[in-house]
Formats: sequence, C-alpha cells, structure tokens
Amino acid sequence: MGKRRLRLVGLALALALVAAACGGGGDEGGDTGQASQEPQRGGVYRTATTDFGYTNGFDPTGEYLGAAFATYNALLRTLLAYRFVAGAPGNELQPDLATEVPQPTDNGLTYTFKLKPNIKFGPPVNRAITSKDIAYAFQRINTKPQAAQYGFYYFGVIKGMDGQAKSADTKISGIETPDDQTIIFRLEKPTGDFGYRLALAATAPIPEEVAKCHTKAGDYGRYVISSGPYMIQGSDQLKTDSCGAQKPISGFDPSKKLYLVRNPNYDQATDTLRKNYVDGIKIDIDTNLDDIFNKVESGALDGNFTDDPPPTVLQRYSTDANKRNQIHANSGDRTWYITMNWITPPFDDIHVRKAVNYAMDKQALLRAWGGTIAGDIATHIAPPTVLSDKLGADYNPYPFDENKAKEEMKQSKYDTNKDGVCDASQCKNLVMINRNVSPWTQMEPVVVSSLQKIGIQVKPRELASSAAYTTIQTVKNKIPIALNAGWGKDYPDAYTFFGILFATDGIIPTGNTNYPLVSLTPEKASELGVDIPAGTQIPNVTPDIENCQKETESDARTTCFADLDKKLMETAVPWVPYLWNKVVYITAPSVTRYEYDQSSGEISFVNTAVNNNATMS
Amino acid sequence: MWRYIVRRLLWVVLVVLIITALTYTIFFVMPPTDPAVQFAGKNPTPEQIAEVRRQFGLDKPVWVQYGLFLKHIFTGDEYGWPGFGFSFVTRSAVRDQMVDRLPITIQLALGAALVWLCIGIPIGIVSAIKRRSLLDRATMLTALFFVSAPVFWLGLMALWLFWYKLGISPGTGYVPIGTSFGNWLSHMITPWVVLALLYAAFYARMTRGNLIETMGQDYIRTARVKGLPEWKVILKHGVRSSLTPVVTLIGLDLGALLGGAVITETVFNLQGVGQWAVNSVFQGDLPAVLAVVTIVALAVTLMNLIVDVVYAYLDPRVRYT
Repeated sequence: MGKRRLRLVGLALALALVAAACGGGGDEGGDTGQASQEPQRGGVYRTATTDFGYTNGFDPTGEYLGAAFATYNALLRTLLAYRFVAGAPGNELQPDLATEVPQPTDNGLTYTFKLKPNIKFGPPVNRAITSKDIAYAFQRINTKPQAAQYGFYYFGVIKGMDGQAKSADTKISGIETPDDQTIIFRLEKPTGDFGYRLALAATAPIPEEVAKCHTKAGDYGRYVISSGPYMIQGSDQLKTDSCGAQKPISGFDPSKKLYLVRNPNYDQATDTLRKNYVDGIKIDIDTNLDDIFNKVESGALDGNFTDDPPPTVLQRYSTDANKRNQIHANSGDRTWYITMNWITPPFDDIHVRKAVNYAMDKQALLRAWGGTIAGDIATHIAPPTVLSDKLGADYNPYPFDENKAKEEMKQSKYDTNKDGVCDASQCKNLVMINRNVSPWTQMEPVVVSSLQKIGIQVKPRELASSAAYTTIQTVKNKIPIALNAGWGKDYPDAYTFFGILFATDGIIPTGNTNYPLVSLTPEKASELGVDIPAGTQIPNVTPDIENCQKETESDARTTCFADLDKKLMETAVPWVPYLWNKVVYITAPSVTRYEYDQSSGEISFVNTAVNNNATMS
Repeated sequence: MWRYIVRRLLWVVLVVLIITALTYTIFFVMPPTDPAVQFAGKNPTPEQIAEVRRQFGLDKPVWVQYGLFLKHIFTGDEYGWPGFGFSFVTRSAVRDQMVDRLPITIQLALGAALVWLCIGIPIGIVSAIKRRSLLDRATMLTALFFVSAPVFWLGLMALWLFWYKLGISPGTGYVPIGTSFGNWLSHMITPWVVLALLYAAFYARMTRGNLIETMGQDYIRTARVKGLPEWKVILKHGVRSSLTPVVTLIGLDLGALLGGAVITETVFNLQGVGQWAVNSVFQGDLPAVLAVVTIVALAVTLMNLIVDVVYAYLDPRVRYT
C-alpha cells in the first residue's frame, strides 16, 4: 500500500542518464556531509507538496501516511521513538518520553515505563504530560467510532483492547497508570515488536480536555496539541472552554498549508533525539509540481516534500557539478512486487510462480523506474534494512535466466508438451491489474514480454492507483496477477511485512493485502466464498510468523524473519519482488544540513538545518 | 418577463436535480472504488470498514442517501447551509472548503473574462473594419496562435518568463484581496491574462466574423444612406447586433469556467473549485465531487438564464415567451 505517493519517474532514458551521473549515489547512511560542525539554528524550513494525502485527516489516532509520521516527529513525542536520522541508526528504538527502553517482565507480558519529568503539552493546554494522557491515546485507539487505521497492532495484544469501546472514556484493563509518571502495559501474548508499536504516533499523549470533543475518525486532525518541539501555528489561540468554542487551529488547513512553530513549553534538555535547528516549518500546498522544484531551484523553497522530482529536474541537478550534492536519495524501506494469486490457475502451481520469477527482467524494470538512483533490485520480500541485512547482498534465489524459467515451466502441469512454454488455456488472457501512471505504464511492456517467453499471456488493465488497489484487495475478484503492489514498513520490524501480508488472519474479503492468499486454509476459503483449486497445496506460514513474533531478542528475531523470508521465496513463492525504492529529495543551497528520517521515510524536519532569513509570518 | 424568469428558474431546479441524480448514480452507486474500503486504512477489519461506511452515511439505501443529500442542500446540515456534508479526505466540512475556494475561481473567471472582452472585442471590431489589411492579418494570425496554444503551455511559459527569468511576477499562489490589494493583483494578473488569451483570440475571431456579416446587411446600408456618421453606423447598428452571439457565449463560458479552469488553477496554484473537483474525483472524495457538480450545474444553468434575458434586451426581435 502506498504510504508515500509515487509520482516518480517518467522518461526512462532521462533517468538512466541521471542514474549514471549520480552513480547510484545519494546519502545512504547519513547526511550530505555538508557540515561536520554543528549548523546554525534559526530560519524556517520552507517546503511544498502537491497534496497532503492524509489517510485520516491528520488525526494521529488513525493516520498512517509516512509524510504525516515525518510531521508528527516534530509535533508529538511518544514513549519510545527514533533518532530521526538516515540508515540503520535511524531505525533503532530510543527512549523519548520514557526514561529508558524497558525490558519486558513476566515472560514478555508486562512492560513498565517511567516518564521523564517536566514535559508539558504545548499551548493552550500548558500542563504536564502524565501517564494518563498516554492511556487516553490508547483509549481513543480502542474506540469503535475512531476506526483506528492501525488499531490491529494493539487489539488482541494489550489486554482489554478489541477496538469495540463506545467512547474514549472507557478504561483499558491492560493499561495501568499507578501514578502520573508510570504506565504499565499488560499483554495477552509475548509480542517481540511491542516497543516499536509504542513509537507509532497514535500512542503519543493526547489531552482529553481537547480531544474529547472529537469523537469520529479523523476529527482531531485540526486540533492536534503538541507534545514535541513544534506546535501548529495558532495553537495558542485554540479555545478549550467548551467543545463549541473550539475552532480548527489556523496553522493547518488541509487544502492549503501546515505551519509549525516552536512550542514554548518544550524543554530541549529532555530530548536527545531532536536538534530542532529551524524556528519553524512551512508546508504549503502547491498543485504545480514543476513550480515546486522551480521554487527550490530559485531558493524560494528549501526542499521538496513527498513529491518525487520529475526526470528533467533530476537530470538538471545530476549533470551540474554544483548541484549534485543537493540530490539526496535514501532507502525507502519498501518493496515493490508482482503478486500472483494462488487460487487462480496457472499460479496455483509453484513451478509457474518460480518460472515467472526467473523470467522477469528486473534490470529493465529498474530502468523503467529510473535506474539506480530510484532504487535497488529486490530479490526477496522484506527490504535489507528491515532484516538488518541478514540475507546478505548476494542472496538472489531467482537470477534472471530464461533457460531456468523454462526448466521450471517444464515441471508445471500447465506445460503438457514439456517444452518450457505454457500451452494450457489457463495461461491465456489472464487479467493483469496495473496502475495507469508512470513508471508502472513503462514497466508493463517489460512484464508482458517477460511472461510471453514462458507462454503466459496477460491482458493488462490499467487503473488509477486507489482503484487498482481496491480491485486486487477484493478476494472474490480473483485477480490472477498484478503489477501495482508495493508494501512499506509501518515501523522498522519485519513483522510489519510478514505478519500483515502472509498470515491467515490477515485474509479479509475486502481491503485484503495478502494478495496471493498465502496461508489460506480450506475453512477460510469457505468463509470467503472462494475455492482452492483441486490438488493445490497452500502452505500455511502463520505458525512461523507467530514463532518469530514471540522472540523478543532483537538479533534472534530478525534472523527468524530472515529465515521466513527465505522459506517463502524458495518454497512458497508468493511474489516477484523487483524493487526496493529510494526516496529522493532535492534541497536548496539554503539547507546547511540535510537529514533523512529512516523511520518515516521522509525528511527529518527536526534534524535538518537551514540558513535563510525566512519568518513564519 | 417575470413569468418567463420564474418558469426558467423552475427549469434550473429540474436540470440541477437531474444532474445531481446522475452524478450521485455514477459516483455513489457505481463508484470506481469503495470509499469505505479506501478510507478505512491499511488492512482494515470488516468492522472498521462497516464503521467507516456508517460514518460516511453509505450504509443507508441509495434513495435515502440521495434524499438526505437534497434535504441538506435546502435545509443545511451540522456544518451550516447549504449542507454538503464532510469531505472523506480532509474530514472537514465541504461547505467550508467551497466557501474558501469558490471566490478564488470566481475572481479568476471574472477577471479573465474582463481581460478577454477588453482585448478580444476591440481587436475583432478593428479587424472587421480594416478587413484584409495588414493589421487584420496580423491580429488574426496572433489570434490563431493563441487559440491553438494549450493553456498549460502558456501558463508554464508565462511563469518561466515573468517569474523565473525576469522576476517581475510574484509567481504562483493566491493572496486574498483583503490582505493586500497590490499583492492580490500581482498574483492574479498572470493567470487572468493566460486564461484570457485563449478566449480573447476566439472572441476576436468571432466578433470579426459577425461584424463583417452584419456590416453587409441592408439596414446598415440604410443607416449609411440616412447620413449617420460611420462610427455610429459601426457601433450602434453593427456592433450591437453582432455582439448578441458573443453574449450567449460569454454566459456559457463563464458558467463553464467556474468548474473548468482546472489547468489554469493547477499551473498557478490557485486553489479553486475546478482543481478541487479533479483531485476529489481521483481521491474518491464523493461529497466534494457532488458539491462542485451542484454548484457548477447551478452556475451554468443560471448563466444560461441570464444570457437569454440579456439576449432579448439586446435583440429586439427576441421576445420572452
């Protein structure tokens, strides 16, 4: 599912040139190196986006857009958080509101946190943050009308949380607040990635006196009260006397702008993760993508935000020695893949799925995306950063090889004459869902011709991004193959790939993201009203996922998921993973220090510095 | 005349009802995607989808939904009058967004119309009078160029030249007139001119053609024989009669521009109604789509009515029937 809107890439040749010029460079693992010394403070980071695209109106209880997470990092603090820097260090959990990252007790079932003292909400609330404010955030997640969009990370995990509470007043039995500085979570089952779940923005403290007025999904988005270094401009004008008196905070208009200014109640001494160089952050909506990059080039803006640079812009920067260091490309921790439906012949046959993997020209697909600056060829399911590179850079179970593809096809029941080319009717006229925008349209001929070599003939159906997703997410549609799928982490743990994408429980009639239907049981198939083709063995990896999920020790946990990745790729073969994309930013010379936030996959607002005279007026 | 206007107003209501019903059918009964699924988030449970469907009001029978939509338009809803519900995307009142965006589009359309009339009609008149002269050929050639030039190209070129290269334009964006008149004007002038050039060229060619035809009529010859000065013959007898189709056209163009200046709005980052409508269609924000369709349908039909009334005034042969 697309957290970051990918408007990237148009002309393959232009981008290939860019890639060559950049030599696949970028900022992987750190900042630009523009300044080794501490940059100056002040100025305003000015940026623009063609559209906010928030999934829940910027209400943290349900919002899951990466761009929103990047903004929350400046606005909200959670018990645990990240360093908001690039690379592996940016994916490591750190204490934020909590004094330390605790070890679970009670066989992994209890987590106890102590809060740092003297951390206050921003205006107009202006009071100390207590453990009850964190508990209240969970009570909101647990409320049915909030339809919290990643509530599944807590329901059935924390005792008493099932998402069915009628109002946020309902206490949760598994969350205790013995005093204002202590919060205890009691779990139903050991959950190795629980710490990461406490770093999601939905769990940031929420003041009940404001949020109680906003009871529907997305309602609180225009009233978000700061607990971090910045607040929404105009927060101090918010009246909290009564619900009727509350008017949306002026600094956020979903169709125009989001402006953040310093929170006067923030105490830098309590925060080691954020440097907060800039005095403010201005995010404006600019519907003209070219205009955004022209403004960055002219210095009217300091950088882009969420919109990928058009090929012409990348070419201009990469071919100009003075500008090359203003391009920043970092790992997006996201896998793009072709998915094959196991209940739709011929993809019920593992040999066909393996043949498709061998036959796919991933180099050509990468070129369609723009070459090495746009990403790296994916060879397995979870991106290397999420698996701490446990599988190694050389791991590639299906190198591009037409002969091996045909060898696999020969073993398939759909190749009756055993010539390595599918000759069964099931291989003809297969619907393939795709998006109707670049680079997917550029990739389509590559996929079609790769499949043709092994006798699979597809009929591409190009749809708008959301329509493409909802089409393949409806199980009864039984879409045989799709090119539009991608998946990014919600937090830097492999569970956010395997737990969501391959477990039996994750298969739902609509909105389903387990597209191949891995772990589909006959009972589940019956419940969904679909048939498993006769003789088809669908492996169930749910026990493997549960086994990994119990593991709380980081290294063992990652190894467990890496093994599962390998198992899926070699013995189940649900996808053809083809790309781990990079996130590309262009900055103006006014940016004296650029930092990427690996956790959100966007710019790190709190650790980027500028040298401009802009003000927030 | 009043009976005519009332009868036409009833037709306006009927047309708007038909258009909204069609839009409702297209987007709510046969939506490209299920909004409840689309907005329920990543990996939603059936309960979450059902809850979102309930909050969006999509759980009720279609005829009830449409009835409520009509009711809220006339009586208002929790966000005020007219009631357009709330946006699935921004989770805030559609009405507030409409109030915010419609004035921008109106300013763009009216300003551009003023510019194109001021450029197009005089050029058309001069060109018709100086028929086959160098001036006529030059202006008509220029008009042909602008009629053929796509607005997005003109807009991008204007920005590149006047903002990026020469620095005499403030670039894209909108500044409310109340903040600073000068700033407002400097932000609007380029989009006005860009949008107007296309229409001005068209209007110039149309005015020229009509005027040439009119000037060949018997009553023009009669006017001249009466001894009227040539300027009076042209302006009073020629232009007045030749402009009646132009009035029809401007009414329709203005109405259409309220929803159709998408490209100009997008290129110049003017967050008006047209650009909003297009984004809303792509995002599946059905209440916003419906609100824009309603307002634009109303604008176009009302402009038609106004045109017909003015037409009868300009051309004595037309009667209110």
